[in-house]
Amino acid sequence: MDNNAKYDAVFMESFSVKPSELTDKLEYNSIPEWDSVGHMTMIAGLEDAFDIVLEMDDIIDFSSYDVGKNILRKYSVDI
Amino acid sequence: MRAFSLNAVELLDYQPNRYPFLMIDHVTRVEPGVMADGYKNLTNNEWYFPQHFPGAPNMPGALQLEALAQMLTVAITTLPDMRGKVTHALSHYVRFRKEVLPGQKFEIKTAVLSWKRGICTGTGYGFIDGDVACEAKMVITIPEILDQYLPKRYNRE
Repeated sequence: MDNNAKYDAVFMESFSVKPSELTDKLEYNSIPEWDSVGHMTMIAGLEDAFDIVLEMDDIIDFSSYDVGKNILRKYSVDI
Repeated sequence: MRAFSLNAVELLDYQPNRYPFLMIDHVTRVEPGVMADGYKNLTNNEWYFPQHFPGAPNMPGALQLEALAQMLTVAITTLPDMRGKVTHALSHYVRFRKEVLPGQKFEIKTAVLSWKRGICTGTGYGFIDGDVACEAKMVITIPEILDQYLPKRYNRE
């Protein structure tokens, strides 16, 4: 599974969304599942999937599906 | 971290609930961030027995679950800088197996499975005379910690 597929899989599992919903419109609080608890579930899922530990500032800045891709590049995860 | 016990007065520093909603009497052993065990002694004077139920008093299941959650909370609020923090329930899955009656000692064992960024996942068991009366998987949070990790340009739901 490549990084893109891993990234998408974490989102789909954390928020119960379909591949068609993984767009630039997917943001924190844009769907009921991406609430405070969903946010932490998704972050933990990404940390497990890519064997990284996100800094606090990056967890706060991780406000959308698209923004998250840029943040993970800081951790040498190219998506 | 060092394990220790908390008597009925000492535990008030780590558990914000008060009468009539404090559901634990004593913490026999707490290892901060790892586990907390203790008990609730049940007498005929418990406020819920007269109504739940007349002639057949037993501890409401929701309050058994609350007791487990309060004990799990102590495992977190005894961590450094956590004393006095308010906790909220996020999700609980519980199974009840045995009635809990006046005169019995409701013994509680809880364990922290994970504690990260303000969210605690843990397990709890309630025992009567050595038998499991109820068991639960619980997720609790300290909102004050959790909020620190949320995207700031959005309001918390």
